[in-house]
Amino acid sequence: MLTMQSLTKTYVTDNVQTHALREFNLQVNEGDFVAVTGPSGSGKTTFLNIAGLLETFNQGTYTLDGQNVSALNDKQRSKVRNEKIGFIFQNFNLIPDLNLYDNVDVPLRYRGFNAQERKRRIEQSLERVGLAKRMQHLPSQLSGGQQQRVAIARALAGEPRFLLADEPTGNLDTKMAHSVMALLTEINQNGTTIVMVTHDPELAAQTQRNIFVRDGKVSETTPELVVTDKIAV
Amino acid sequence: MFGYYLRLGFASIKKNYILSLLMVVAIALGIGASVSVVTVNYLMSSNPIPHKSDQLYYVQLDSWSPHEPAREPNDPPDQITWRDATNLMAAGAAFRQTASASSGAVIEPNDADVRPFMASIRLNFADFFAMFDTPFLYGSGWTDAEDQARRPVVVLSKEINDRVFGGENSVGRSIQIAATEFQVVGVMDTWQPVPKFYDVTTGAFNDTEDVYMPFYMKQELQLSNGGNTNCWKSPEGEGFEAFLNSECVNYQFWAELPSEADKNAYMTFLNGYVEQQKELGRFERPLNNRLSNVMEWLEYEEVVADDAQIMLWVAFMFLFVCLVNTVGLLLSKFSRKAPEIALRRAIGASKQDIFYQHIVETACIGLLGGVLGLVLSLAGLEGIKLLYGDFMQNLVKLDLTMVGFAFVLALISSILAGLYPTWRACAVAPAAQLKS
Amino acid sequence: MNLSYLELGPMWRALMRNKVGALLIAIQIAVTMTIVLNSISIVVERDKMMQRASGLDEQNTFYLTSTGYTSDFNAQNTVTEDLLAIRAIPGVVDAIQLNAIPISGGGWSMSLATEAGPDVEGTGTAVYMVDEHGLETLDLDLIAGRNFTANEIRWRQAAQPDWPETVIITEALALTIFDNVDAAVGQTVYIGNDEPMTIIGVIDQLQAPWVGWNNLEHSMLSPENMAFNSTRYLIRTEDGERDRLMPIVEEMLAARTSGRIIRNMDTLTATRDRSYRQHNAMIKILLTVIVCLTLITALGIVGLASFSVQKRIKQIGTKRALGASQASVMRYFMLENGMISTVGLVLGTGLTIGLNMLLVNWFNLTPLDWMYIPIGVISLLIVGQIAVLGPARRAANIAPATATRTL
Repeated sequence: MLTMQSLTKTYVTDNVQTHALREFNLQVNEGDFVAVTGPSGSGKTTFLNIAGLLETFNQGTYTLDGQNVSALNDKQRSKVRNEKIGFIFQNFNLIPDLNLYDNVDVPLRYRGFNAQERKRRIEQSLERVGLAKRMQHLPSQLSGGQQQRVAIARALAGEPRFLLADEPTGNLDTKMAHSVMALLTEINQNGTTIVMVTHDPELAAQTQRNIFVRDGKVSETTPELVVTDKIAV
Repeated sequence: MFGYYLRLGFASIKKNYILSLLMVVAIALGIGASVSVVTVNYLMSSNPIPHKSDQLYYVQLDSWSPHEPAREPNDPPDQITWRDATNLMAAGAAFRQTASASSGAVIEPNDADVRPFMASIRLNFADFFAMFDTPFLYGSGWTDAEDQARRPVVVLSKEINDRVFGGENSVGRSIQIAATEFQVVGVMDTWQPVPKFYDVTTGAFNDTEDVYMPFYMKQELQLSNGGNTNCWKSPEGEGFEAFLNSECVNYQFWAELPSEADKNAYMTFLNGYVEQQKELGRFERPLNNRLSNVMEWLEYEEVVADDAQIMLWVAFMFLFVCLVNTVGLLLSKFSRKAPEIALRRAIGASKQDIFYQHIVETACIGLLGGVLGLVLSLAGLEGIKLLYGDFMQNLVKLDLTMVGFAFVLALISSILAGLYPTWRACAVAPAAQLKS
Repeated sequence: MNLSYLELGPMWRALMRNKVGALLIAIQIAVTMTIVLNSISIVVERDKMMQRASGLDEQNTFYLTSTGYTSDFNAQNTVTEDLLAIRAIPGVVDAIQLNAIPISGGGWSMSLATEAGPDVEGTGTAVYMVDEHGLETLDLDLIAGRNFTANEIRWRQAAQPDWPETVIITEALALTIFDNVDAAVGQTVYIGNDEPMTIIGVIDQLQAPWVGWNNLEHSMLSPENMAFNSTRYLIRTEDGERDRLMPIVEEMLAARTSGRIIRNMDTLTATRDRSYRQHNAMIKILLTVIVCLTLITALGIVGLASFSVQKRIKQIGTKRALGASQASVMRYFMLENGMISTVGLVLGTGLTIGLNMLLVNWFNLTPLDWMYIPIGVISLLIVGQIAVLGPARRAANIAPATATRTL
């Protein structure tokens, strides 16, 4: 599903080079639910951004669903994000001026679906997160947990193969966090591959695979799970 | 997608409606000011007779004082003397030619209900009508023979025909002008060249005259001098004839010269004429004759008022400030939208999508500004008409060209103003704004 | 004095990180200054021009044209009788026949020289043909010499080229020709190259017909009535009587003689308005531009400052939490605006002078008085400060707790 080989990403700020990722290797298989943990500044977010095609990298190869993404231009990358990847963010990132319906509609517009298809998908995905009745509400009228559910609905509406979650429960209280986690687990069980970045070990423990990132490298894996450090070519 | 962008654009405009209003008003004011001032300048500098402006030549002869030029540094006077006007007509060296002058006299209508009134007169030769393509409602101009025979014939303007004959076909009827009975040979249709190129001496944007009569009527009826009369020496002797034979200039002379060869030949003729006059003791200055076609002549006479040009500059700078204002506001607005843009990018919008979305929003503002600007330019032109009165009345008509210009100007300037902010919006890195 | 609390250094560096936004405001201010100062310079110049007095009793003066059109029209008799009749009307101070109306745009000019001969350079002057009632009707004061006497007035026939023997000139003309008013009386000047006229008096002030003429104050009075079929009468009335008398005089003249029309009756105040109309229009248009432009620039500053405050809510909250007072937050925004304005105004000073040089060059305008620049700079600084006041106050009202809240 997702293969990263010797990925290196450096930032240059004020003439100082910072390695965000170095020789980063990872393989995620179809149907995995992977938790990525690590301390602040370890490269978790950079990994997620690269995995989600939000950022480019300097060296190495990244293959997503059998496609080498480093060769893609902006338009093709946007298409991949739109069709194959769903994003869930810590701060939800809903557009405050749009109601729930229109928020979920955003990716579908770029997908080019017709109005009927969009309507079907929006209603279906909002139904799935239990917010079908509040379609006309604005994000500000919802609780944090509900907002995150809308974000999940938005991610699901395009029926992506691959879901990227960045601290999805970071802004939520424990109860809400649990329900969001339960929803993600259910989605995973229905066949969607999920990679989740978190700093919460308890949350990580609820997934099949845990990856620990430190200094831009996958330096440790949870013993009970099989994670390749070096991939056999 | 266009509909979607349009909806997003209007939603965004509505969200910051005070700011959007400010942008729309700024663009509208800039456009309004520019379009109204450009209209005035455009009409002032327009070609009044485009199809033959390069075949009609204004004649200048340097008959001025040997001690000083008529106009610094060494320009001939802008009109010619009676003697030269009639001599050039008698020579008839051009394809067509006419001397012309303005005057005034009282018209006494036969109808007792219409009181006698003062009418402005254009004195000219038969060729005048053909040279300047004057439109006729009834009849036509007079003939060369009637010029030579000094026949009291007259061509009426539409306005005078309406006033004196109630708009009927008056050709063949008689009319009392300057205590003399004239016969109407033609009635002109509305004719108002802008600028009034054939005589700009008393104002390039004045109304055309009330009636047209043969040039020699001036001598026959001792008609008064209209326009400007300039003399470098006093007439010798007393009376009207002495004045006509003086070195005072009060007459314009136009020649129609279809080709460059004709023009050169006519110049040679003029120089020969002046040489011959020098032998008679006139034309004491060095040979300095000029032929200017219509546009050259209008430029020489500087018919585009300085104030109009100053206003043109001010208006364009004003538009520039309005645009810079819009750029700044859009930039801020779009920068506030950075998180939304980043999100859209993350969930699949390409740079192109973002670009279209924002350029549509910008164009909406531009179009609204353009429409309002057009309304403002109409108001501006009304204002100019009100402030300037008669002087501007022929110069404040918004034609289709200018309406088109207004829209193009609005669209181009707002898209130009929106381009940089839009480009910056597109450059938002999708990853940067998603974490807070 | 320690200025470190003003945070000028950090403020400048912060501005440099958002160069484009700041630069846009600076450019806007610069061009605004350029337009406003050059426009004001034109407005002041035109206004000064419009304030010049014609020398007449403008409020109480009107004129009309009498045009005889029949072949048996007797101009000389008509003029003589018309004048007697007009002067006899109660409320009329005096009336004259006049060849041209001051400041009306149309008239006669001649050249006067102190020596005879075609190659002598003369001084251009407007010519007014008046009788002995001229001084009273035109409200002129004799400052040297004497007025015309009734028997000095001759009749000028149509197309008659010669001139009378005496002349009265304005002080300005006397000073141009002789450098001294008293020395002018009794002198001979030559009109039209070689005809001598003796100066018998000097009057205080009378403007020529052409308001744009360099020699506007050069006028001469020539003692003559005109036996022309078409001629003008100028009538001066007692205070406030003008409007009442206009129709009375018009009807009286129309009724007196057949075979002529009375036309173009107008007041001198209307004539002034017409002659200065384009200047008046220019003043109004430029003032409108100045007001609109200043408003737009000010509103632009308000808009941009509001954005900048909104963008920095968290940052301001943090500052407040770290101990910044409301006053210092406000001061920050005011100073920031001042800094941007200063850059704009420095740029604007250059542009203002540049545009002025172009305008002077192309359109012969009077160069800008340098005093306008400091006045303009200070005014625009104040406009900027007023514009930024609202957003700055809003910034100052941001609660320190904002820092700890996630938005």
